[in-house]
Amino acid sequence: MSDTQNLTVVQAIRDGLYTEMREDDEVLVLGQDVGKNGGVFRATEGLFDEFGGDRVVDTPLAESGIVGAAVGMAAMGLKPVPEIQFSGFMYPGFDQIVSHMARFRARSRGRFSLPMTLRAPYGGGIRAPEHHSESKEAFYAHEAGLKVAIPSTPSDAKGLLAASIRDPDPVIFLEPKLIYRAFRDEVPEEPYTVPLGEAATRREGDDVAVFTYGAMTRPTLEAAERLAEDGVECEVVDLRTISPLDREAIVSAFEATGRAVVVHEAPKTGGVAAEITAILQEEALLYQEAPVKRVTGFDVPYPLYALEDYYLPSATRIEEGIREAVEF
Amino acid sequence: MVVGDIATGTEVLVIGAGPGGYVAAIRAAQKGLDTTLVEKDAYGGACLNRGCIPSKALITGSGLAHEAGNAEHMGVHADPAVDMGKMAEWKDGIVDRLTGGVEKLCKANGVNLIDGTASFVDDHTVRVAHGGEGQGSESIEFEHAIVATGSRPIQIPGFDFAADHVWSSADALDADSVPDRLGIVGGGYIGMELATTYAKLGADVTVVEMLDDILDPYEDDVTRLVRTRAEELGVEFNFGEGASEWSEGADGGYRLHTETEDGVESTYGVDRILVAVGRQPVTDGLDLAEAGIETDDRGFIETDDRTRSAVDHVHAVGDVAGDPMLAHAASTEGIVAAEVIAGEPAALDQQAIPAAVFTDPEIGTVGMTEAAAEEAGFDPVVGEMPFNSSGRAMTTGHTEGFARIVADDETGFVLGAQIVGPEASELIAEVALAIEMGATLEDVSGTVHTHPTLAEAVMEAAENARGQAIHTLNR
Amino acid sequence: MTVEEFRLPDVGEGVAEGELVSWLVSPGDRVEEDQPVAEVETDKALVEVPSSYDGLVEELFVEEGDVVPVGDVIISFRVDEDGAADGAEAEDADEADDAEAPETDADATEAPETDADATEAPETDADATDAEPPTPSGRTFAPPSARRLARELGVDIGAVDGSGPGGRVSEADVRAHAEGDETADGPTVGSADDGPAPKPAPTPADAGSDRKSAVRKRGASESDATGDAAPAPHADAPEPAGRDTTLATPATRKVARELGVDIDDVPTDERRDGEAFVTGEHVRAYAEGSSSGGEDGSAPQPKALDLDDTTAATDAATDATNVGADETVPYRGVRRTIGKQMERSKYTAPHVTHHDTVAVDALVEAREELKPKAEAAGVSLTYMPFVMKAIVAGLKEYPSLNSELREDDEEIVLKGDYNLGIAVATDAGLMVPVVEDVDEKGLFELADEISDLASRARDRKITAAEMQGGTFSITNFGAIGGEYATPIINYPETAILGLGAIEERPVARDGEVVAAPTLPLSLSIDHRVIDGAVAAEFANTVMEHLEHPLLLLTQ
Repeated sequence: MSDTQNLTVVQAIRDGLYTEMREDDEVLVLGQDVGKNGGVFRATEGLFDEFGGDRVVDTPLAESGIVGAAVGMAAMGLKPVPEIQFSGFMYPGFDQIVSHMARFRARSRGRFSLPMTLRAPYGGGIRAPEHHSESKEAFYAHEAGLKVAIPSTPSDAKGLLAASIRDPDPVIFLEPKLIYRAFRDEVPEEPYTVPLGEAATRREGDDVAVFTYGAMTRPTLEAAERLAEDGVECEVVDLRTISPLDREAIVSAFEATGRAVVVHEAPKTGGVAAEITAILQEEALLYQEAPVKRVTGFDVPYPLYALEDYYLPSATRIEEGIREAVEF
Repeated sequence: MVVGDIATGTEVLVIGAGPGGYVAAIRAAQKGLDTTLVEKDAYGGACLNRGCIPSKALITGSGLAHEAGNAEHMGVHADPAVDMGKMAEWKDGIVDRLTGGVEKLCKANGVNLIDGTASFVDDHTVRVAHGGEGQGSESIEFEHAIVATGSRPIQIPGFDFAADHVWSSADALDADSVPDRLGIVGGGYIGMELATTYAKLGADVTVVEMLDDILDPYEDDVTRLVRTRAEELGVEFNFGEGASEWSEGADGGYRLHTETEDGVESTYGVDRILVAVGRQPVTDGLDLAEAGIETDDRGFIETDDRTRSAVDHVHAVGDVAGDPMLAHAASTEGIVAAEVIAGEPAALDQQAIPAAVFTDPEIGTVGMTEAAAEEAGFDPVVGEMPFNSSGRAMTTGHTEGFARIVADDETGFVLGAQIVGPEASELIAEVALAIEMGATLEDVSGTVHTHPTLAEAVMEAAENARGQAIHTLNR
Repeated sequence: MTVEEFRLPDVGEGVAEGELVSWLVSPGDRVEEDQPVAEVETDKALVEVPSSYDGLVEELFVEEGDVVPVGDVIISFRVDEDGAADGAEAEDADEADDAEAPETDADATEAPETDADATEAPETDADATDAEPPTPSGRTFAPPSARRLARELGVDIGAVDGSGPGGRVSEADVRAHAEGDETADGPTVGSADDGPAPKPAPTPADAGSDRKSAVRKRGASESDATGDAAPAPHADAPEPAGRDTTLATPATRKVARELGVDIDDVPTDERRDGEAFVTGEHVRAYAEGSSSGGEDGSAPQPKALDLDDTTAATDAATDATNVGADETVPYRGVRRTIGKQMERSKYTAPHVTHHDTVAVDALVEAREELKPKAEAAGVSLTYMPFVMKAIVAGLKEYPSLNSELREDDEEIVLKGDYNLGIAVATDAGLMVPVVEDVDEKGLFELADEISDLASRARDRKITAAEMQGGTFSITNFGAIGGEYATPIINYPETAILGLGAIEERPVARDGEVVAAPTLPLSLSIDHRVIDGAVAAEFANTVMEHLEHPLLLLTQ
């Protein structure tokens, strides 16, 4: 067994960047404050000193430029890992993401592929102002040509990031900042990947399948523990990749229980839960014993932090949602 | 730019890196718990930086100077000069080495270190303010907490430590020159250790004490020896007097004014006034109320025998948790706290905690005195060996004092010991072990002690209690 | 010989008194040690109280029915010299044991142990609410390692006997103490000060410890949900399939729920995706088969998510909690099935009951005449076959009473067959086996079939198929007694005829009151389908055929 370190999520991301950059000279990082400052969340700390300014590039405040430049670099054979400081700032770069990052391969009939990974901290629960708390992974999941990965543990963070960087196609890597430093976990020191498109079962149970990802994984597990006391055993599946979804895992977990709950902090309408519901309806209707319950954020702009706790699915709200599915 | 408040999560949060805190943190980390240690000042706390360690350094230094200068009877002639600045430097070097050592040990065991001042937001969250250039603050969410914020010297009205010439014990230990005249308010162990030290360094020491003897918790025959020796060193004692105020002296120094209970006033000429009347727990700024914890009327956090406060998952160890206010008690409590959090069946069930006073002669005590044993319902038997019967003592030139052991007559269990004399602080450890192990007088006297050592006195005292001492007359 | 008093022992935590239900001995009786002398009932259970002595019963201090506080003297014994146990008072602990030992009523005696277990679960010291062994406040003469071991083993070191000099406690002493506790006493109930670790008693009442899934899963038959299936009255068909996985559309599952059918039990031959697949048809067919007669096994149990009801674990457990006058009986199984059927029928169809009486002199005579012939044929001929034939006559004229209302389809189906159900009272409750094609069978044949069905129903050997397919039902409560009733229609039929007792009653004939055998009739109809007038006319036809049995020959 090789060595492991006890790292937080953000430390694991940093370790992942460091490891991939060390293994592959083509990998570089660019974004605001990533170089000399080491990243506002310390995700790129020490990389500048280690790899120099050619591979750790401090950019101006220009998201469109950051993404666009990365597209160009990737088209030309580099493996850029651009960082957008908050996912809420991806919008100025949305055109580059959707019109170019997602479509290069298709547009060039496969002649060009873009091995780039766009990293951004996302998600709420940190008492931050507007634009710093929302979850809009659905926008990117809806765009064919993009993969979207969202880790929930330090070891997954490093592994998924590595897999994203090594993937020949573009990946949007969203990092749930609520859990950046919330806990530590064993992270192998060596390079390794966690495959994209593969979900992970965090808890086994055969009464109801609960699908979730990102920062919502912990309150979901907490809800599952409470329900276990009442004799309801939840199978908790951490999706890890939002696009492509691990359809097989989702369907088979549902078939085993006949009931499903999807938990995400993103708003309800048009979210990942809606997609999963449709998949289940298509592929496993006959197994269904109850409507798929969606426990999500609300269809409102992300509230200011005085109301944040009402917006985000809490363990209690998740627990109630699961009870609904189970009592139907 | 505002980045929001991303909390750091940890399993065990220790506040304060003194002998209680850093020990607890290291033990917790050793048990596999994710541990974070927050310290606002220096690692090692008061003990390392302003107490135990510096005082022992100065005591050694001053003792050495004094010994060397008074060894003609052994045929050693010397007239040592003391460079106080250098001694302070040497002392500081020791402190730095130890402080750095604590930091290294913490890191080596995987403890996360954070500099800053912690205060409770609720019973699972603290806010740590990074003073100085770090600025800003961060939130830490913890599952368990150990409060080890220690104590500070009590400041009495009229004697503000901020004044240059009014010393707390920390100031006294940080001096780089010896005052000509030193007034000491308080005849407890801190006052007495410093009185002895500064007397040996050449200061003119006057001790003012409200009670009628020094070292209140100790027995008369113990304190008498220390007091006599202090007087020999030139220390002047004034009992029954309380310090009321100071004023500037005509000669450029200061005058220390005292008053008895009956209102009789006195005044003494001094250059520095050391106020050593006791220590109080440090809890201000912690916002304990936010965590649901109250302190008692003396300011201590009440804890049970598993170091838990009123809030189960918040522990308190060391001086902030009350008596005994001793560094080794703090460390023991810290270990128990860490182990309890780790789910182990640890508890504070130590049978006796030894104490030492580094005066001249030293005092080392553990367990019960004869009177205490009687009060507890035992039928005590006592044995003694005076050091003037000890060969080794004679060869050190220090024969004042004795080793006394108290045991239960019926069973022979060792209940306590009081040792006054050379190396008493070291000698007492043996008896502490005997008490913890539930050893009897027979066990102690049956253990072979090296000859010629001072430790033999403990064995002899045990034999004496059994009525069969060889080297003393049995009672 | 000494006279020893015996006090009511403490039978379990929180029980302060008991009712002396009955004495099993009288003064002067010779008793042996452990022989039960009385039955005492506490909040929790009925407990036998055994004698602690060999000897004679000297005196009874308490009357049957008295409520006695724990500790009061209830009986005294004149004790044999050698056979005596120790003094009565000191025996309280043992007596408490003994009181538990005889397990006449398995559930009852274990219940108090449950309570005792509950309180003794934490280690020894009553103060240790969180099961931590206390740290003794006085001096302990034991090395730190021994003290720690004591804490680890949950032993109060203050209670350990030390074998070292002066009583010093070693690790070995701690271990010995810990082990000694485990083997010494078995279920020591009530002696909390001894602090031994009680043997956990099997506690059917303590269902909370069973971590059963509270979600009614596929494949969980009723027996899982209720812990103990009420015995199925019939061995098979329509045999509940009892599968683990069943595929069905959500709509089908809804139908199953409404009909109170467990979808995993619905028989089907269809398969999809490698699993059994069930349609609404299957569900309805199965439901109909099971519903006519009110048996269980596959009985309607609505999707029971008993998140609160963890005591659904066993039937046996919660039987009869006897306090005062109330008795609670479980409402499940056949009883509940019948209940649901009755509910559905009565609350769906607007019932109207038409009463009339027919003079059956001629019928009585006819039967008398036929009896010898019947006996010779080995047939027990009752009035029932005659009645059935008369009913068929009525149904032929008024087919609306032989029908089914299908509201969703907006149609009334007038049945082509004459399958009459005969209500039979059995131990398990009401069952209605069906005699098919009554119009095609002769009297003797009918009589034979009726008696066969009835006896098999009572023996619970009847099949579900035999209780399906009825078009009209008859309930002969008169066999027990009574004149008129308001019978509930056997859903989904539209009419039912209740027969009162055939007895001599006053009848007015030709201006005079004479005694004549009469048969009271109670005809309930579904007024959505049948009007009162039609009901009356039907009744008249039936009565006509009973009054003049010869008319039956014309059928």
